[in-house]
Amino acid sequence: MATAFTEEIVDVGGAKIQVLKGGSGEPLVLLHGAGGNSGWLNYVRALSEKYTVYLPSHPGYGKSDRPEWLETMADLASFYTWFLEEQGLEGARAIGFSMGGWLASEIAANCRHAFSKLMLVDAAGIQPKEGEIADIFIISPAQVTELLFHDPKQAPEYESIYGGEPTPEQTDIAERNREMSVRICWKPYMYDPRLLGLLARVSIPTRIVWGGNDRLIPLECGQMFNKAIPGSDLVVIDNCGHVPQVEKTEEFVKIALDFL
Amino acid sequence: MDVYYFTEFPYAEFPESEAEKFPSMRLTFPNTYFDPNKAHDLFKRYLDEYQHAEDVGFDGLMINEHHNTPSCMDVEVNITGGILARTTSKAKILMLGNMLPTSDNPPRLAEEIAMLDVISGGRIVSGFVRGIGIESWANNTNPVYNRERFEECHDLIIKAWTTPGPFRWEGKHYQYRAVNPWMLPIQKPHPPVWVPGTGSPETVEWAAKNRYTYAAFLTPLDVAQGLFARYREYAAADGWEAAPDNFAFMVCCHVNDTEEKAQEAGKAFLWRMNHPLRGPREYWSPPGYTSRAGAAAVAQRRPTPLNELSYEELQSRYHLVVGNPDSVTRQLRHIKDTLGVGALLLEAQGGPLSHHDTMRSLELMGREVIPALKD
Repeated sequence: MATAFTEEIVDVGGAKIQVLKGGSGEPLVLLHGAGGNSGWLNYVRALSEKYTVYLPSHPGYGKSDRPEWLETMADLASFYTWFLEEQGLEGARAIGFSMGGWLASEIAANCRHAFSKLMLVDAAGIQPKEGEIADIFIISPAQVTELLFHDPKQAPEYESIYGGEPTPEQTDIAERNREMSVRICWKPYMYDPRLLGLLARVSIPTRIVWGGNDRLIPLECGQMFNKAIPGSDLVVIDNCGHVPQVEKTEEFVKIALDFL
Repeated sequence: MDVYYFTEFPYAEFPESEAEKFPSMRLTFPNTYFDPNKAHDLFKRYLDEYQHAEDVGFDGLMINEHHNTPSCMDVEVNITGGILARTTSKAKILMLGNMLPTSDNPPRLAEEIAMLDVISGGRIVSGFVRGIGIESWANNTNPVYNRERFEECHDLIIKAWTTPGPFRWEGKHYQYRAVNPWMLPIQKPHPPVWVPGTGSPETVEWAAKNRYTYAAFLTPLDVAQGLFARYREYAAADGWEAAPDNFAFMVCCHVNDTEEKAQEAGKAFLWRMNHPLRGPREYWSPPGYTSRAGAAAVAQRRPTPLNELSYEELQSRYHLVVGNPDSVTRQLRHIKDTLGVGALLLEAQGGPLSHHDTMRSLELMGREVIPALKD
């Protein structure tokens, strides 16, 4: 069973980037959200049985350097086109989660050969018309965790992810991640007004997946992504919050593998 | 030794218990509790008290600025500075200060402060502040760039005051084609610059590097001592000796005719020490606002938040000095001698403190305490 993974540090334009890698098959790139790289969780393990999964920590997150010039989401997207090129990953399948969904759609809209298939999961990047994107910076990390789930009891990994006391190193990384998210997502908060217009340029098969009870980013944003990206479909997971890959792992993996 | 009078123009015209219903009395405390007509009366009163402070012999008048909070109705230090520049005639006007990181227009700030210096006849002391974390939220300025913007905004203002215009500015956060303010300060090369701090090591170093006056705000005396010692070390390493004028200390203070009267009236300061200092960590320190070294240093230095200290503890730790003229003189002299400061900033209006008690306190400070401190 292809469940083992390795941790590598790769060099992109002089920046050292941490990449978790495992599995076998064609490449699949996972782009994490504002909370940072949460590691080789069950859903990643399941996906790595069919694909060679690449799970990098974005510049400024985890153990990855931040190049001095990288300060916006557009910078991050540019950086990733470089990363994909250097790592021979152009044309890979990709899944972007939350803020990583914003990143993935920004990359796909600006670079048509970056990915061959795209999945966006409870993605940031678009300003909702009716609701609001919850402000995760003005509340405590514990309050953010509470908002992520519709019902944490249905998430088998909840205890192992959030239960224990974090080590000083984990605390340090969590604060670094938060600071980097503030750097790139502060204003406008978690969206870019030009993205909605650019999404018409996304020309690859795209699936949008949303937790039906997402309290962080309203489902409305999923519908807007769906409408803006030609030929995309929208799959809503009922009784599920912002992180379906953790809260409804099995269902999520099935939806992902069906599409990919 | 210069003594300054300071108030935040507090608005305490609602039951204090209302604040308990909200995470803080700052940022998100609803402004439906605000009555502009009451505020009108308060502004008249507070400005009269400033005038009285000058009349009874204070060397300077200090003003500041905050947003989204009843603890401070002064939302623009250059507006109150403009009023005092015209209504007073002798006292220094210490603006502590203009929030640089939240400003998108440093040349305009340079003009405004210069104009105040001109109107006041060269009485402006120009404080520059980073703004507490809450100001990053209220002004929606990215806290990650707070220090960078503070430093660049400062550099541009000083250059605008000292370098003949026009010149071009192409910085990281600010760009201008023609910096050329017609309005320049009377004081040369520019008005004195002060910087407040509560513990960030970077601020002490930056103040020392520029030889500015560093003002410690409501810090325990041993913490202020430590910060001033670091300043002196930086100065020595740079080849000069820091003088008392490089240091100031801010403390809440109330004087009354008798110890009993003072202790009773001084309880008004508990309003100021309580809800205005309470709130979630994220309000005070948004992610990226404080360097991790700075956060660790502050956490280590100030173990008990002021809003958790009793009236007695606030006094025994010199956050609040209360008493008759003799006892207050003795306590302030202790602070002055312990810290070696050249200026004391006395916050002498604590919210619910009555106009009568405020005026009496200022009177006694001016007639008895200040002359004794200068002996």
